[in-house]
Amino acid sequence: MCRRIIGWSFVLAIAAVAVATTAGPRFYNDDPIAREPESRSAAGAKPLEIALFFEYGYNLFVTARRKPSDIRAGNINTIDEVPDSSWFTNRIGSQPITPELLVRGPNSDVQPAPGKWVLLREKSAGTNPGFTAQDANGRTWFLQFDIPEFPEGGTGAVEIATKLFWALGYNQVETFITTFDPARAEIDPKATIKRPSGARTPFTRDDLTRVLEHAARNADGTYRVSAGALLPGKVLGPFRYSGTRSDDPNDLVPHEHRRELRAIRVFGAWTNLVDWKAGNTLDVLVEKDGRTVVKHYLQDVGSTFGMANNPHEYDMGWEYFYEQAPSRRRLYSFGFALSPWQTAPYTNYSSIGFFEGDRFEPRSWRPQTPVEPFIQMRDDDAFWAARRVMAFSDDLIRAVVGSGQYSNPAAERYLADVLIKRRDAIGRVYLTAVNPVVSPRLDATGSLTFENAAVAAGFAAPPTAYRATWSQFDNTTGATTRIADTRSATTTMAASRDLPSAPGSFVEIDIAAESAEHPTWQQPVRTHFRRDAGGWKLVGLERLPGRASGPGAAAPATGEGR
Amino acid sequence: MLKRPAATRVFFAVAFAACACTARAQDPASREALIEQEQEAKAAALKPAEPGKAEQYVNRLSDSFLAGMALHPFFESSYTGGGFTLGAGYLKHVSAYNTLDVRGSFTPSGYTRLEAEFIAPSLFARRGVLSVLGGWRDATQVGFFGFGMTSTLEQQANYGFQRPYLGANLEVFPTRRLFLVRGGIELTQWKQKPGEGDVPSVEQAYTPATLPGLGAQPVYWHSQATVGIDSRAPSRGYARRGGFYGVTVHDFADTDKAFGFNQVDYEAIQHIPMLRESWVLSLHAMAQTTYDKAGQTLPFFMMPSIGGGADLRAYASWRLRDLNSLYLQAEWRVMVNRFLDMALFYDAGKVAARRTDLELGNMKTDVGLGFRLHGQLSTPLRIEFTHGSEGFALVLAASQVF
Repeated sequence: MCRRIIGWSFVLAIAAVAVATTAGPRFYNDDPIAREPESRSAAGAKPLEIALFFEYGYNLFVTARRKPSDIRAGNINTIDEVPDSSWFTNRIGSQPITPELLVRGPNSDVQPAPGKWVLLREKSAGTNPGFTAQDANGRTWFLQFDIPEFPEGGTGAVEIATKLFWALGYNQVETFITTFDPARAEIDPKATIKRPSGARTPFTRDDLTRVLEHAARNADGTYRVSAGALLPGKVLGPFRYSGTRSDDPNDLVPHEHRRELRAIRVFGAWTNLVDWKAGNTLDVLVEKDGRTVVKHYLQDVGSTFGMANNPHEYDMGWEYFYEQAPSRRRLYSFGFALSPWQTAPYTNYSSIGFFEGDRFEPRSWRPQTPVEPFIQMRDDDAFWAARRVMAFSDDLIRAVVGSGQYSNPAAERYLADVLIKRRDAIGRVYLTAVNPVVSPRLDATGSLTFENAAVAAGFAAPPTAYRATWSQFDNTTGATTRIADTRSATTTMAASRDLPSAPGSFVEIDIAAESAEHPTWQQPVRTHFRRDAGGWKLVGLERLPGRASGPGAAAPATGEGR
Repeated sequence: MLKRPAATRVFFAVAFAACACTARAQDPASREALIEQEQEAKAAALKPAEPGKAEQYVNRLSDSFLAGMALHPFFESSYTGGGFTLGAGYLKHVSAYNTLDVRGSFTPSGYTRLEAEFIAPSLFARRGVLSVLGGWRDATQVGFFGFGMTSTLEQQANYGFQRPYLGANLEVFPTRRLFLVRGGIELTQWKQKPGEGDVPSVEQAYTPATLPGLGAQPVYWHSQATVGIDSRAPSRGYARRGGFYGVTVHDFADTDKAFGFNQVDYEAIQHIPMLRESWVLSLHAMAQTTYDKAGQTLPFFMMPSIGGGADLRAYASWRLRDLNSLYLQAEWRVMVNRFLDMALFYDAGKVAARRTDLELGNMKTDVGLGFRLHGQLSTPLRIEFTHGSEGFALVLAASQVF
């Protein structure tokens, strides 16, 4: 009964907000917003555990069968961009990223002091050996070793991927490659370890030896380790890839409809981040502007390149753990119906693992299990993500790969080459899949200019022409009044003379491209400009107008969805 | 769960917040204000972030059966040929790493097994595993078809036995990998009894003069030692690469010095992966040779035998029996997915009174198709359809064939 009351309360609240929402204008004065507000304290949020067994099972047998909803991302602003939030910060593609900045990534100046490590407890997750320890400066780190079969592999992957995902906009843990000298290590008297019996007993020297038996050892007796910093704040555990946190008032958009989470399908394909699961995420309560909010981390992005799990399964990145269609194909053909992973050529460096760029096909890439945003990603989400991937120049990629500190220059070169090939494959597929008009500008004189992201990247020939349909737009009712149609062979076109000139007036311009090679470009990109004192300001951009517009109905949205 | 007054309070709080929202939302000043209204509305109806019912249920199940596995299924029969087996065990940690497992199983044909095993898996700096096993087994209808390759199905007679046993095995990988030494000692008694089932019992078909060891109830000190190279991966319970090459020497010392003998087993396994381990050609050869002890008799029920779900799969369990045996197996395994393999297989085997007769001619053979549900460490279900010169057979097993 009380649940019903609470349920109806919520419905009432949503309905009330919906009424208010539909009554509002299409664009507000602060559109497009650059940051998602977080107006309420989430101090009451409690730690949550998400069991791996259930998550894998659910994803493999329920999520994998879901049909994409075709719902537009819910946390984008009115110009189809993702505003900064406790999930995401616009970095590459939005601000200049130099090689130095990228190599630094999320790291501060305070590196681990490896002179003496004091062991605090065992590592509780992941397959690589490791533990939690304090460095000589008293700072706590999570240490992770390489396994003997893949020296430099795990640590290099974590180091590079952390910086890539930081540049892509995700909250990342400070991570450094450093050394561990067991001869100079101590064990905290209070350190404990959970035994197979379940008992937690003191951590002993033998326990340290046990961990190191499974770690790649340097010739001088030390070990190369990846040190991840302890995050400030109260740890709440992982976040779910669907729904919202019911104890976080600021978490309004179902996670499967958050564009930056959908985009991991593209970023994951690029880096082969196959271990995409709740267990590799972390919510932390932090203080921000005097308020307690939940900050969301992609905590462990080390299952990348060819370094996922131990040992790497050959079908990783090509198939889910279990996938019906290829299983059936192999069963009926007695294994003769080959899948690409069975024959893809690899140059096998032990520090890189099985990672290749020649047979890579972004759309058919698979994580180990599909999470909900993987299913829900649309082509406009992928386009947004692909532009960020394409923003990594060759030089940036080579610089960040250098931070993996591989001892074999050929391996380092190979990894960078593969990332470049996969980047281009992503751009070729996703930048051309939808109308790639970007950065529209309407100057005070009425000249409309824009760019074509696919042409600019060299993945498509220029279209034969661009067409624009100009309309006056009523921001209160949403009604449009056609003004004119214009056409141009270039990315600049003159506006109609009948554009409104009053401050606060709106114009809607649909921009389509004529390309026999890419018929999808006929679908116009819908833009809205508002007349201000200084001229026209872009306030709206929709890459797939007319498609299900939004999670507004399903959940509150940050921008265009309403 | 909230009590009703609390729920009512939530209702009014949310209703109030919603109304307040609505009132204020008439003309929200900005996008930011609009979102803040929504956050305010949600703040009035926060709930603990908890797993759903299905998730809680699955978590409880996995905690019970996967994490600790205190209570666990046990499908091993007391003796090969017992048929469909049901059983359970209870495993308890007796120290940080050591376990004690008490388990039992039975089959519809009356095969019964009760035993307790202590395992210390982490000896000698994790190089050695000690197992101490004691128990009691009862087998009711073990087939005996006569000796040699000319025996026929029609000759089948059954015997039964009960066997108490207590022993210890120590397995050590001195270099942690590859090189294996194993040693063990066991005290056991084989107490024969009349066989049950649809065929005559052995004492009805044979006499002690025609069947060595008929009616004997020897008590053995059985000691054994193995040296080998084991590179199977990912594990012994489910391998797709690597191999095993080993020799085991057994000494069966009868306390009455009447039925003692020696035995040497030679075993070779090689898995040859192809196409990124999605195809595996797996080969297995096993020879068992026995040696008399002066003045003592090797009883028929201790002689090497082949036939059954692990070797000559289309043939009845214990179908061929003699002083020496040899069987060869080849499988072409295909990975269907991470959890399911299928395999085409071919088995060939023979028994012989003389070791020199263990050549490759005149072998019984079979072919078959198998499906295996497996993980990285084990093969909990193996289903095989096989055909040999004595007809079709269906094999259901809870372990890898080799």
